[in-house]
Amino acid sequence: MTFSNSNFPDKEGFFGEYGGKFVPETLMYALEELETTYNKLKDKKDFIDEFYKDLSHFVGRPSPLYFAQRLTDHYKSGSIWLKREDLNHTGAHKINNTVGQILLAKYMGKKRIIAETGAGQHGVATATVAARLGLECHIYMGSEDVRRQSLNVYRIKLLGAHVHPVDSGSATLKDALNEALRDWVTNVDDTYYIIGSVTGPHPYPMIVRDFNSVVGKEVIEQSKDLFGKMPDAVVACVGGGSNAMGIFHPFIDIKETRLIGVEAGGEGVSTGEHAAPLNDGTPGVLHGARSYLMQDESGQVKDTKSVSAGLDYPGVGPEHSWLKDIGRAEYVAVSDDDALKAFHEVTELEGIMPALETAHAFAYLEPLMKELDVSANVVVNVSGRGDKDINTVAEIDGIEF
Amino acid sequence: MNRLTSKLQNLKENNKKALVAYLVAGDPDLDTTLDLMHLFVDSGVDVIEIGVPFTDPIAEGPTIQKAHDRALKNNISLKMILELVDMFRETNTETPIVLMGYLNTFISHINLVQSIGENSADSILVVDVPGELNLQTYGITNPNINTISLISPTTKEDRVESIAKNSTGFIYYVTLRGVTGSSNLNIEEIKNNIQKIQQYSDAPTMAGFGIKSVEDASTLAACSDGVVIGSSIVEMIADESKSKEFGRIGEYLREMKTAIS
Repeated sequence: MTFSNSNFPDKEGFFGEYGGKFVPETLMYALEELETTYNKLKDKKDFIDEFYKDLSHFVGRPSPLYFAQRLTDHYKSGSIWLKREDLNHTGAHKINNTVGQILLAKYMGKKRIIAETGAGQHGVATATVAARLGLECHIYMGSEDVRRQSLNVYRIKLLGAHVHPVDSGSATLKDALNEALRDWVTNVDDTYYIIGSVTGPHPYPMIVRDFNSVVGKEVIEQSKDLFGKMPDAVVACVGGGSNAMGIFHPFIDIKETRLIGVEAGGEGVSTGEHAAPLNDGTPGVLHGARSYLMQDESGQVKDTKSVSAGLDYPGVGPEHSWLKDIGRAEYVAVSDDDALKAFHEVTELEGIMPALETAHAFAYLEPLMKELDVSANVVVNVSGRGDKDINTVAEIDGIEF
Repeated sequence: MNRLTSKLQNLKENNKKALVAYLVAGDPDLDTTLDLMHLFVDSGVDVIEIGVPFTDPIAEGPTIQKAHDRALKNNISLKMILELVDMFRETNTETPIVLMGYLNTFISHINLVQSIGENSADSILVVDVPGELNLQTYGITNPNINTISLISPTTKEDRVESIAKNSTGFIYYVTLRGVTGSSNLNIEEIKNNIQKIQQYSDAPTMAGFGIKSVEDASTLAACSDGVVIGSSIVEMIADESKSKEFGRIGEYLREMKTAIS
């Protein structure tokens, strides 16, 4: 088993004209060290075996590809299959990446782990693997997200990690990422930075993609077993885009499968109040990579809006920008309202409560199932479970505990 | 000859060290920035480095980051900053000006960058483009402008060489492992590294990041061609942003100038 046969990124870290390594000089050494280590380990049998062993015994992989009977009945067309990343340990796809990166940290002899988090899922997943190895762990989180995701904040603390609220800028995920980069610049000798999405400077978009690609690889095998061919479409939500890239990547050469990424449409793409750079952004440079970006005409990064903290990010992974431009993947957006409707619908129809991020992917089934053939098989990546969002949803529904 | 190059050459010929002072354009407002630039010059500053505000300045510590946020509240753009430089040049055609910022703000105004004239800014430092890369790749081409690159304590030697050879203005040696305004200088390491850089390039080497006291400035000037002072000035600007009594900054810069002479 290997991680990836992809020719992308190139050796400078570019996917076409996206990606790269746009960082202050103080970070270059750390990125080179990481790249060298990863390139050395990624084809080593011991490393690969240890990673897959942790995925099966600690994470609980493979996750099922589950036939959603009532959701299928609801749309009266096609067959809807759910890739159950919500069943992973810690409740989301994020753990695949952190299990892999903590192994890199271990091989590099780093004693201190840092990470940024938006919805808190990556913070939980990082604190979890750090606890397992007994490593000191610091999580940066926008103070607005600390408020929205108080349950995950407490989970992170229970796992023995320190949470640092970040007040600068818009006090959300992008600012947490800025702060984590600053910590890394300062403590680069003993610190490993576990970035949580397919974003940031090279080699992160590649590493995070490779570790998450286990999802798409499983779907390929499970599709053969369960319906004897490749799916007609794979649908996943896109914030930074790690769950989508994980499930898309092994399908890139399987041309019969449409790849559909669903961004956060917030109040609606036409209002400008959203977090959908692939739908309504332009190429720019943020957090070390060139990619589609929500920015104003002066090149300043715009504040974003989404009911889902995990999608509330003005940039997107560079490989998604590339897949968009070459036409291999389609990127659409759904509004907060439609995502909330889907959240309730899926919970009631399937007994599966999706994360608000994931609910965006479900919301796109409404238009998609109408346009697809009745025989179509559609896979939705259930990137995470919705327990963490109960307070947010209750607040919107006007319920007080 | 480029104003920055000739100024630094002149200082070197006279065995003097350069005092480079930083502020963020538009913090607290553009009129004050113009006044401060003149105050800098009157207090002995040789080169003015103007921070071009960006929403996500990842190399900056909290002090300069807040200054960027304050400037952005005033909607400061690169166009306004170049107009500010024009105003400055009405009475000062001597002092070199360096624009220091992040790639995204420069590439969003690429026409402006390409049209910078002889009597405007003299140099550009793009913090988030590694020094061995050529800024021309990103459209930053202008015969009136030279470029400045950073080298840090963690830069590997093969890269030190290519960065040093690529830097046409001066080489900015980052004196610590951290963001702007941190502390804990390792003087021995700095001395050794600057010596290494000078093997590869005749361009002047300035030391910066974390220089606060006159003692630091004096020690570092002894092993470099000059020092860059940033966070401590930005902090004083923030402290006096209401009263606009900046006498303390003038005093501080004069002490620095004496210390490095």
